[in-house]
This record gives sequence, C-alpha cells and structure tokens, in this order.
Amino acid sequence: MLLDALMAGDRRALGRAITLAETGGDRAAELGRQIREHTGNARVIGVTGPPGAGKSTLTNRLIGALRAGGQSVAVLAVDPSSPISGGAILGDRLRMTSHTDDDDVFIRSLAARGHLGGLTASTPAVIDILDAGGYQQVILETVGTGQSEVEVGEIADIRVVVCTPGMGDDIQAMKAGLFEIADILVVNKSDQDGVDQTVRHLESMLSLRGPEHTRAVIVQTTATKGDGVDDLLNAIDRCSTILNPNERRRDRTRRLLAGRAAELLREHLLRHDSERLDTACRAYENGERSLEQSARDLLKLEYP
Amino acid sequence: MNRRAEQQQPKGYEKAETQWHDDYRRDIGDAQPVHNRSGVPIEPLYGPSTDPGAAHLEHLGLPGQLPYTRGIYPTMHRGQTWSQRQLIGHGTPAEYNERVLKMIDAGTTAISLIPCNSVYRGNDCDEIPLPLLGTCGTVVNTAEHMDHALSQVDIAAISTAMNDPSPFTLLSFVLNVADRRAVPWQQISGTSNQSDYLSHFIANHMFFRLSLEGARRVLLDHIAFCRERVPNWNPLSVVGQHMQQAGATPAQAMGFTLCSALQYGRDCLQRGLDPDDFLPRFTFFFDISMSLFEEVAKFRAGRRLWARLTLEQLGATTDRARRFKFHGQTSGADLTRQQPLNNIARVTTQAIAGILGGLQSLHTDAFDEVINVPNEDPARIAVATQNILREEAGLCDVIDPLGGSWYVENLTDEMEKTIVAVIDTVENAGGMYAAAESGLVQRMIGESALAWQDRIDTGDQKIVGVNCYRVPEEKDNHAVPPTVRPAKDKMQAHVDQLRRFKTDRSQAAVQQSLTALARAANSTDDNVFARVVEATAAGVTHGEVIACLRQELGFGQPLIVD
Amino acid sequence: MNTQTPYRVLVTKVGLDGHDRGSRIVAAYLRDAGMEVVYTPPWQSVDQVVRLANDEDVDLVGISSLSTDHLIVPDLMQALRKAALEHVPVVVGGIVPDTEHALLFDAGVSAIFGPGTARDTIVNTVRQLAAAARDALENPFT
Repeated sequence: MLLDALMAGDRRALGRAITLAETGGDRAAELGRQIREHTGNARVIGVTGPPGAGKSTLTNRLIGALRAGGQSVAVLAVDPSSPISGGAILGDRLRMTSHTDDDDVFIRSLAARGHLGGLTASTPAVIDILDAGGYQQVILETVGTGQSEVEVGEIADIRVVVCTPGMGDDIQAMKAGLFEIADILVVNKSDQDGVDQTVRHLESMLSLRGPEHTRAVIVQTTATKGDGVDDLLNAIDRCSTILNPNERRRDRTRRLLAGRAAELLREHLLRHDSERLDTACRAYENGERSLEQSARDLLKLEYP
Repeated sequence: MNRRAEQQQPKGYEKAETQWHDDYRRDIGDAQPVHNRSGVPIEPLYGPSTDPGAAHLEHLGLPGQLPYTRGIYPTMHRGQTWSQRQLIGHGTPAEYNERVLKMIDAGTTAISLIPCNSVYRGNDCDEIPLPLLGTCGTVVNTAEHMDHALSQVDIAAISTAMNDPSPFTLLSFVLNVADRRAVPWQQISGTSNQSDYLSHFIANHMFFRLSLEGARRVLLDHIAFCRERVPNWNPLSVVGQHMQQAGATPAQAMGFTLCSALQYGRDCLQRGLDPDDFLPRFTFFFDISMSLFEEVAKFRAGRRLWARLTLEQLGATTDRARRFKFHGQTSGADLTRQQPLNNIARVTTQAIAGILGGLQSLHTDAFDEVINVPNEDPARIAVATQNILREEAGLCDVIDPLGGSWYVENLTDEMEKTIVAVIDTVENAGGMYAAAESGLVQRMIGESALAWQDRIDTGDQKIVGVNCYRVPEEKDNHAVPPTVRPAKDKMQAHVDQLRRFKTDRSQAAVQQSLTALARAANSTDDNVFARVVEATAAGVTHGEVIACLRQELGFGQPLIVD
Repeated sequence: MNTQTPYRVLVTKVGLDGHDRGSRIVAAYLRDAGMEVVYTPPWQSVDQVVRLANDEDVDLVGISSLSTDHLIVPDLMQALRKAALEHVPVVVGGIVPDTEHALLFDAGVSAIFGPGTARDTIVNTVRQLAAAARDALENPFT
C-alpha cells in the first residue's frame, strides 16, 4: 500500500503520494488522515520574499548546510501558475543543482494552480507526506507576493523572509504581512552597495512591531558565494524552540486550524445575512457598542 | 517619410514625390508597417528628402579614416579580400589534419579549430562516453594532439583561430608545438576566438568553464601574456554571435557586444595596460543574419560607435586603437532542416551582407549545418560560395558600395540609435559584467527569442519550407549526405593512446606544474596563462589544467533565466 | 482516472551541449497550453534525469538535444525501465540525423521534434502522450 511504502522511505511512493495530495479527492483525504499521526518530526522552514531576492540560490546553500549537519532535507518550491493558461514554468531547480544525486535530499516543484496565497491548496498535505516520509527538514520556498507571507506563517515553524539591498520600496510594499510573520530577515546579495542602509531600515521597521511579537533576527548573506549561510542556519536553530515532535505537531496544527478557521469565519461573516448580525451591526453604528465589543458579539453568533 | 532634408529640392521633384506618396498610399491600402528585426521601422522608399546632407559627411568619414563608418582600411576588399576562415572540427587530430589540408588546397587562407564538446566542457576524452567524442569538433587534449592536428601546416605563415574558452589550453598547445618546431612565438598569428566569457555566461553555456570571477582573472592574464610574448596573436575576440544565435536582435547583439568590449577594456585599464597597445588586438566576432540591409547598417554603425567609445570611454589616442575589426559567421539560426539545399541561397545572402558590411574574415555555413556536422561536399560548397562571391560578383571592386544609399545611411543612423539605447540600458545596470550577473541581458535576449518565434508561429515572418512552400517530409532531405560519425575504432585508439600517455609521462613534472598553476591562481602577481603554457609543455592534459583551475577559481555555473 | 490536473512535463538536457534557446521556447509553448514544466539546467546525467522524473512525478520527459547528446537517450530509456518509470513517455527535440531516428524509436522514444516543428505539433503530441501515460497507470495510488 502507498502508506506503507511511503513510511518505508520508498522514493517512488513519495513522488506519487505528493501527486495524489495535489490532485485531491477522497483517496488524497484518506491518505492525509492516515498520515497525520506520523507527522511532527520535521522542522518546516518557510523561505519567502520578492522575486529576484535569490531565494532559490539561498535555499540551495541552506540544503548544503543542513546536509553538512547530517540532516535529511526536502524542499517544496512553489511557483505561480499563469492566470491565463493555468500552466507554469517551474524553474527553481535552475538554482538547485547541487543535490540531485544526494539520496537524502528530495526536491519537488509545485505550481500554485490558482491558489492565491502563494502556496498551493495542498501544501499542508504535502508537508505532512514529506514529514511522514522521514525528512527531518522541510524547506518551503515560495514567491512573496500578496498574502503568501501570511500563509507561510501558518504552515512553517520558522519563517525566513529574504530581501536584497536597495529593495527599500519593495520592502515597504511587502509591509504588514512580512513583518508580522518573519522570524528571520535575510538581506541577501549583501556584497552589493546599500546593505548597511537596508539593515538599518529593517531594524527600524522591526522596532515598530508590538511587544507581543518576538524579536526578529536580521542575517546578511551572499548566497552566490555561500557567505552568511552558516549564520542563517544558526539563527534558524536558535529560533527553533520547539523540539518535541508532539509539541511541534500541536503548534503547527493550531496555526493551521486557526488560519483556516479565521478564513472561514471571515467568509461567513461577509456573506451571511441574519437578523442577529444586523442587530450587532446596528449596535455599533448607533454607538451603543464599541468596535471591540461588537466584534466579540459577532464571535458569539452561531456558525453553521 | 523622413524629412531631414537640409537642401532644397527642385520644385518638380517635390511635386513628383508627393505624387508618388499619394499613388503609393492608394495602392498599398491597409498594408502593415514594416519593422526590421531590431524593431527599426522601414519606409517603402528613401530618397533625397532623407538625405542628411553635408553635415552627415563628417559623421560618415572615408574608408580608413575615423569614424570608420565606411571601412577600417583605405583599401578594404579591393586591397585585400577577407580571410576565408572556415570553422572545422571533427574526430581525431589525424582526421582534422586531413580535412584542414584539403581546405587549404581548396582556398582557405586561414584556419580555425573547433574542439569537441567534451573539450568545451573541460574533459579529457578518457572521461567521456565514446559515442559523444569527436562528433562536433576535434578531440585535442595534449600538445601532441595539436602537433598532429597541424601536421604539415606552416603555423608561421597561416593564421590559426582557436575556438577555445578560458584558460586557452589550445593556444597553449600551439605555443608548445611552435617550440618543438623552432618557430618563434612572434610569428604565431591568430585569435583566441572564444575568449569572451561574458558571452558564454549569457548565451553559450557549453563554453562556460570557470566561474565569472575566475574567467575574468584568466582573461586578463591571457591578454597581458599575449601582448608581451605572442604579439601577433589576438587574445580577445568579443563575440556577438552567441547572443544573436540565442535570439538577440542584431541591434542588441551589437549593443551587448560593444558593452562587453567596454567591460574588457576597463578591466585592462585597471590592470595598467595601455589602451593604444591592447585595443588593436581586440577583435569582434559577429553573426550575419538574412536581414541583409540591417546587417550592413549594423556593422557600419558598430564601426562608428566603437571609434567613439574607444576614445571617450577607454582613452585610446591612436587611430589604430579605434578600429573595429571583425569576423563574421553566417547565421545558423536562419537555416532550416527542411529542404536543406535552400540553405545555400540563405548562406549566400548572409555572406553578401557580411561582405558589403565590411568584414575582415568570413565563415560560411554548410547547407547541412542544421542537420549534421558538415560533410565534405556541403563544406566545399560553403567555401566555393565565398570564392564565387569574391571572383564573380564584383563585390570587391568598390569599397562600401552601399554607402550613400539613402536607405542604408538612414538605416545606419537608426541602427546606431537603437544600439546606443541597448548600451545605455546595460551601462545603467552597472556595465556588462553586472548586467550579466543579474540576468538582465539574458532576460532581454529571451524576450527577443520568444518574440521572433511568435512571428514565425503566427506566420507573420515567413520561413520558406517551414511555414510556407513546404514539401512533404518523405520527399525532403534527399540532398543531405548521411551523417558521418567519427570512426569508432580510431576514436577508441585515440582514447587508449591518451591513457598510455598519462601513465608514461613524468608524473613529477606534471605534479610540479599543477602545483605551480594552483599557486598562480591563488596569487595576484603571477600569470595563470603563463603557467598553463608551462604545464602543457610538461605533459599536463587539457582536462587536468581545467580541473585544477576549477578547483582554485570556481566551477563555471551559468545563470539560466526561466 | 483524473485528467483534470495539469500535465507535468520535465524539460531537460543530457550530454555535453548547453544551448537552451529551443528548450526555453518549448517550455513556453507547454506552459501556454496549460502544462506545468519542470525546467532544469543542462548536463543532467542519466541517473539525475531518472531522479527528476521520479521525484517530480512527471507525465512526460522532454530531452532537448543538439550535437550527439541524443545518443545517450537509449541509456536513459533503460534506466527509466529499471526505476519502474517505463510508463513515462520520452520525447526528443532538437537536431537528430534521420539515420539515427530508428535508434531512438527502437529504444522506446515516443517522438522526435526536429528544427522547425510546428508549435501545435509539439503541444498536441505531448498532450496525447501525457494523457495516455496517465491512463496507462492502473491502480496508480496503491
């Protein structure tokens, strides 16, 4: 059976299982259910950032650094699908050539297939498969556009955001989502001019984050030369406070479910019509209830 | 209609012109505007009203005078016709030698050696599966091999182009052979045809052996060494051909190439070399497409631009240092697999464009280029094409015969503008090295390639035999001689001989040379190429030289943009 | 059997050649036809191509070949069989002398696209082959 082969480390089964998860349907859901109790061992590292930041090159180096530490590594590289044709060119492997012969490295290129968050609809399931398949480190590499930072935040245990010097305007554009979730901010191509300025800029933006967010770390790298990669790995290790697989699984589940629940709730509240909803809205409009109170009132409404 | 007239037209002419314009408009109806491959709009007629007038004559110059628009020498082809430099490479050195002697008999005046793809990748033949060896070039891994390849070739008299990227082991072998034959290095002439590592990084990945930084270092050492020790050798050929073959428009190919040349010039200046000394040894290597007038204009504009750039950007003071010398190769990308004999007509057109464009050296493709490594008869026809054009078509009688053509002068100016726009884009990105590193150039070329393919796919650009005038597959290709693969037994013997060579030579000498080479790579005051020459003289093979330098200077990983 | 998710195609190169103008264009054709193209650099070994085909679980492998690199393809076909990937069709695009077509077809290659092959021919052939490959997988997920 596929599950057994997968758990035994059969590479063919792994490739097929991921396709199944991507395809969806009952069999995929069934496999997903069977697998879940076997997850939690893998540490999921999310790598995101704007196009051109050098994420793939950096990921390639990170694989090397993790392998040097004896860790098995899986990589999910997500690229957007063409909104016109639905097709995609999955070109992340162009920068990840060093590890094809390594039996303890598994790289899979995924297309977003219309999923808007920058990941794919099946990403959580695919990560579970790689986790259950025995890979100790799973790197999830995505293009940081729109809301993908938020999605990555829900799925990844450690969130690395990559930018380059002189991306000042782009950093502004990445704004809230980025700084909400980043555990580590990487300034890549740090051999270019403007790196110090960029670091200062980032530090000042991070200092604006509220105290409820843990302090993000800034690391400088030059991925093409391999500089700073060890620093990045050290930073990742320091951020990895949860080591117990059960705890990790629970933490990831909470984030995943919270994210999905929030999404569902939001959709529902926007589209749902009911008297009680109208009452709650009116109370806010009349000034009877504050924003905070009205929002809490909505949470108490029944959700089908 | 361009109206750059500075002189008055006779009233009768103006009227006639207006009449023509009206007649033309009425007859042509809804015809689409025409653009050439570089995007320059092409009018249906050019006449005195587009004549830029007297001011333009200074801008134009005369042959052999700055800014060299009309040619870099006063006599051009009327004085000395272009070198017929056919690229050859196939099989073992012995098989290459056989072919090269035949070509010399048939009129080739300069020779070129293309090594096997395994050599390009930096391997010795004992590391590669036998079927891949010698199919597209000659397997030369040692100085002995070069000696056999050039047997009975007077290397003091015949110019030899080595199509070999950094670290230029093939030239190293030639110098070793010269020593064996007691030929002074001052008499060795030719070109390091594939010294332009930027063009490889960008558009010919198979040729990219060492890291960008490593290639940069070795090229400078190579130029410095050759200027001093092999003064008649052109250590640098800046190549526009790879980029045009990869899909760059003619204007882009010229623009990018001039930017590369600027980059190399600046690197040389930083090294402390004298521009008036190194610039005369910079040569260029361009593709010639089917777009005849565009190519002529491209080359004329290129000459004029280079004359300006060498002065303004590189500090050249002598006229000689500002001359744009180039070798042209007819574009294989324009040839078709369908109805291959048609390619003879194509190559002829391209060759005419190059000749009228004022090239110094020409390679004409064989008609089976897109199918095979050229067989003997197609290769012979390619040389004959040049002979016919030279002897029978009167193309050499007049220097820059298209000069003064209202169209060509206008097009030269327009191409110049388009080329300058490309140069500005690259310079604004920090120069060619930075632009290549970032992938900017690759992206621009990729876009042009897709746009061209789109024109063919939609039928906008007709290609005879491909999207029009087709012939059923079964009825096609009879003219192409069957593919000749190198004789397996000869190649196996060649591989075996190399293995024996490696065991029989002095291991101590080899080790010593490799140590010296590695040391040179890691120090800033030693010349890597000088150590290469010593190493190959001591029996170090091509693969071993490259393995050593890849170890010290980095493996060449090209940036591929998706 | 699902035919709705996009076909996944590997576009890669074996052997020594490094030219990618043709493979980039074909990758664009296939993407515009709704397929997902896993695009790699050149100089992949036979074992690496097998690994790519497996890990990316592609519906078809496209080899771009200039010079004589296609002579390696029979080895690739054998290696795919050994890896239980014989159902994955392999097509070769580029320059293959007519006299060597039989060598490739006998080894199991499904199609050869020479220079000047029309876009629609490439896209339709790839689509048909990929569809057949998916259909041929019985009990694909056991």
